[in-house]
Amino acid sequence: MEDRTFRLLAKQIRSLNRHLAIEKRSLRELLREEKPAIRLRDGELHRFKREELEKLAKLLPEHMHARLRLPIYIELSSDRFGKGTARISGRAACVAVAKILEKSCEGEELFIYKPEIRILRRELPTTTQYMFTTAAD
Amino acid sequence: MADLIEGVNPTRMELLKLKTKVKLAKKGHRLLKEKRDALIMEFFNVLEEAKGARRQAEARLREAFAALILAQASLGVLKVTECAYAAKETPGIESYTRSIMGVRVPVLELQEASRSVIERGYGLADTSSQLDEAAARFEEALAAVVQLAEVERSIKLLAKEIESTKRRVNALENVLIPRLEATVKYIKMRLDEMERENFFKLKRIKAMIEART
Repeated sequence: MEDRTFRLLAKQIRSLNRHLAIEKRSLRELLREEKPAIRLRDGELHRFKREELEKLAKLLPEHMHARLRLPIYIELSSDRFGKGTARISGRAACVAVAKILEKSCEGEELFIYKPEIRILRRELPTTTQYMFTTAAD
Repeated sequence: MADLIEGVNPTRMELLKLKTKVKLAKKGHRLLKEKRDALIMEFFNVLEEAKGARRQAEARLREAFAALILAQASLGVLKVTECAYAAKETPGIESYTRSIMGVRVPVLELQEASRSVIERGYGLADTSSQLDEAAARFEEALAAVVQLAEVERSIKLLAKEIESTKRRVNALENVLIPRLEATVKYIKMRLDEMERENFFKLKRIKAMIEART
């Protein structure tokens, strides 16, 4: 019975990130489509709202449209970053998120906190996704 | 004190296996707690949206029915009903889903939310501006109701997932991890005891051998 419990637990841990994309797509590519979407690891299709893509396009300079890969991952890892802290990786993603949150951003990563995560998710509900990682990953 | 896991032999191999299981269970607990917290944050975001959407839908419906009454007063109930039948079909709704941490929530998009007077389909010659106003208000109300349906359904789905995740976190925190830790402690204690016994046995045997010689 215990082995079954652990198999289920291991399955639960593996399935935590099944909502992530098989492959991210660039903003430029998605803006060209009438119904922009990506395929997720669990086989489902995730549609982006056009308004969000257009909002991101306005926030970023033209040359960054091809560099911004969507969805933007809000990486949560309490053992690495502490509870309530998330990391955004990628220069273009950091610039976009920093503009929404009215923060400054240098470099390839940006750390944001709980109230800011809430604001970001409110502004970009379909173009951001949570990602759960641990120190061992 | 937590229960021990049954059928576990107090050996070093078992101790190693259990330590791995404790590590896995604690990792799972940490990750599920984060998921639970993130789901709760999403839930409150959607809840805020829902409050606004409900207020909006109610306001739009009130305005729409008020405009309808004016149109009926101006043209008569029968004429308004006739125009309603003559009007072209309600705009379609495109529905698809998006994923919030694995929870499939609906996204509803109203196609052609607002139409021009000509597109609606009823004659312009024998109708009044009050009818156009009522039609426009109902189109706005429809958009608000569709938006409300989307957020209210999302709330229900998120609440269900939060409940399920919370149950798992509690099961790990209050049952599985304490049980594992208690069993690890028990095995360590038994191994120490066996080591002490062995040590004492060896001492006695050595003493006996020395006594013979």
